[in-house]
Amino acid sequence: MNPIEVEIEKINDAVLEMIELVKAQLSRSRDSFMNSDEELAHQIIHTETRVNSLELTIDKYCENTIARFSPVATDLRFVVSMLKINSDLERIGDYAESIADYVLNINHKLEKTLMDNVRTDEMFNLAIEMLELIADAYATDNSKKMKKLFAKDKVLNQINKEKSQVIAEYVLANPSTIHDCLYLHSTIKKLERVGDHAKNIAENYIFYSDAKVLKHKK
Amino acid sequence: MIKASTNQWKDQLFRIYGIGATFFGLLILGIFLVGIVIEGFSRLDFQFLSSLPSRLPGKAGILTAWTGSLWIFGLTSITSIPIGIGAAIWLEEYSKKNRLANLLEINISNLAGIPSIIYGILGLEIFVRMMKFGGSLLAGSFTLSLLILPIIIVSTREALKAVPRSIIQASLAMGATRWQTIWLQQLPAASSGIFTGIILSLARAIGETAPLIVIGALAYVPFVAKTPMDEFTVLPMQIFNWVSRPQHGFIVNAAAAILVLLIFVFIMNGIAIYFRYKSSKKVKW
Amino acid sequence: MVNRVMETNKFKIQAKDIHAYYGTHHVIKGIDMDIKPNSVTAFIGPSGCGKSTFLRLINRMNDYIEGFTKTGDILLDDKNIYASNVQVEQLRKEVGMVFQKPNPFPKSIFENVTYGLKIQGITNKSDLEETAERSLRQAALWEEVKDDLKKSALALSGGQQQRLCIARTLAVEPSVILMDEPASALDPISTAKIEELIFELKEKYTIIIVTHNMQQASRVSDRTAFFYMGELIEYGKTKQIFLNPKKEKTENYISGRFG
Repeated sequence: MNPIEVEIEKINDAVLEMIELVKAQLSRSRDSFMNSDEELAHQIIHTETRVNSLELTIDKYCENTIARFSPVATDLRFVVSMLKINSDLERIGDYAESIADYVLNINHKLEKTLMDNVRTDEMFNLAIEMLELIADAYATDNSKKMKKLFAKDKVLNQINKEKSQVIAEYVLANPSTIHDCLYLHSTIKKLERVGDHAKNIAENYIFYSDAKVLKHKK
Repeated sequence: MIKASTNQWKDQLFRIYGIGATFFGLLILGIFLVGIVIEGFSRLDFQFLSSLPSRLPGKAGILTAWTGSLWIFGLTSITSIPIGIGAAIWLEEYSKKNRLANLLEINISNLAGIPSIIYGILGLEIFVRMMKFGGSLLAGSFTLSLLILPIIIVSTREALKAVPRSIIQASLAMGATRWQTIWLQQLPAASSGIFTGIILSLARAIGETAPLIVIGALAYVPFVAKTPMDEFTVLPMQIFNWVSRPQHGFIVNAAAAILVLLIFVFIMNGIAIYFRYKSSKKVKW
Repeated sequence: MVNRVMETNKFKIQAKDIHAYYGTHHVIKGIDMDIKPNSVTAFIGPSGCGKSTFLRLINRMNDYIEGFTKTGDILLDDKNIYASNVQVEQLRKEVGMVFQKPNPFPKSIFENVTYGLKIQGITNKSDLEETAERSLRQAALWEEVKDDLKKSALALSGGQQQRLCIARTLAVEPSVILMDEPASALDPISTAKIEELIFELKEKYTIIIVTHNMQQASRVSDRTAFFYMGELIEYGKTKQIFLNPKKEKTENYISGRFG
């Protein structure tokens, strides 16, 4: 085996682990938020340190590969994409943690009708589905699957756009809930950002794998 | 272990053999030199160098012989050097590497190994008889030129070959013509090698007797040659003549003349060694 | 009409369907290539792929090789360099060459750098001195050698010798410079200097460089040509070749996964 392939394999495995980890964090943040589960929220915050250390590990692997092997062509695109994908994943991890943090700060359980009206659950699910798509496409090296992700991002953006109006109306009617509603507002915003980062990940992945597609066309 | 010690033992044995072989040659040469010096050194004086040949050993000298040798040296140089170098350049640089060139190459190498007496016969036929030079300096030096041409050509070619191709390529790539490259780069770089070859072959020419006897050089020439068409003798002829006489005085004369000839040849070899040393020191490619 | 004129002047060198043979050995198999002026083009490929042979076709250095034949044309400024009226010496003044191993003449620095003028019959001392200084400056060597111009070129370091060889080539003011692995025998610092030099010389010259060093090709060249078994596999912008090669062979070669 070519020595650079050992390094590429290491990066590949670590990124795969990172995707799974971040996906799990996000999915737990949904459970925690929807059920106001503070115990789970603490666990998420605790696990965030693992996300951070994994991010550093991937960075280190990538730097090492660049410094020692001067990758070119597919290898170069892989390392560059993984560096970017890595930081996107880390941000998604951050958002999961932020949401967990909000769970701990919310005073009273938010009303179910409000939650439904801003489509909170749908939003969480979409974001998690995007990460599942990434995990699946990445593991099977399938850039076509990655492309499915863009439609979901559009829905997320739409929900995000509508949320302010819905929340504002609710707050006008129930001014005492303003504190908690702000957290809801922020959570939706975070989930929209998760969508943006997921989209970046897909784009970077396609940048890496695109040459392969062209190559097979030859 | 046994194997290793046997090998070491063999190595030692070979070393001793090598030393023995070397000193055997040196010893013989040493004995010869000492003998010559004891015999002839006292006879070496100005009178010996400046006298014409004589029937009396005490009055005889080598004036005609060494001037003849000098004439031969000069004339042979003038004819053989330009022709030899020219031929070598053509063969090395211009001729296509085809069958004709191969044939020429093999023949030239063979010519270098032909006994000198054959050249004498060739010279006799061409220069003495056909061109009617008679037994003159010109016929002699032409014959000797023929004799040493193959050596000059071969050694010049070797010297040219030793010039790195990279230098030649550099010169050509600069837009130099083949001739400019040869004249400005190859010949200067090969000069010490070429000089070495020339001097060694001239030293050989100086010592030759056989071909000169064949073309009719005389042992007794009572005058110093003035033109290339004059009859002549050379040192080796004089020596040959003297050693074949019965009187002891002539043997002494011969020994002294041998000393002169040896000194001459040693000086030339010295010059050749100097050039070789210079070439090995000058350029580190 | 204006457009047509622009079109014909667009390329400095054009190779049209070049085939080359050593005896019966087919070493270049139909190469077409256009090279723009004031650019650096890198030729890469495994040993024996024909890149050096192709390079030497451009200044006709293959002419002397026994049994070498070629078909197809090479145009320099739209003129066929293999036309019968072309003087090969004149061509080589126009297309200079720097070799793999530094090969200064065993003469002084000054004599080396003015050799090209000398063979053209220029002997005017001030002309020679002027050219020597100009080309040594261009080759970034002047400051290092200006006080020892009479010293033997062989006393210089390898890197300095190679820059001297470049200066020697620049002295005759060529428009194209061919470099056959110019830094392969040099240490990294000398290599960096040569590469810097190539970058600067691009302003005035069209440079073609053969190299086995992938990083070097990617650092110095604008376009890269990948040769394999006598064929031009891929020729494109260096950035594209090194980031996104179109052919699998190219990818395998540049990423060191050949064979």
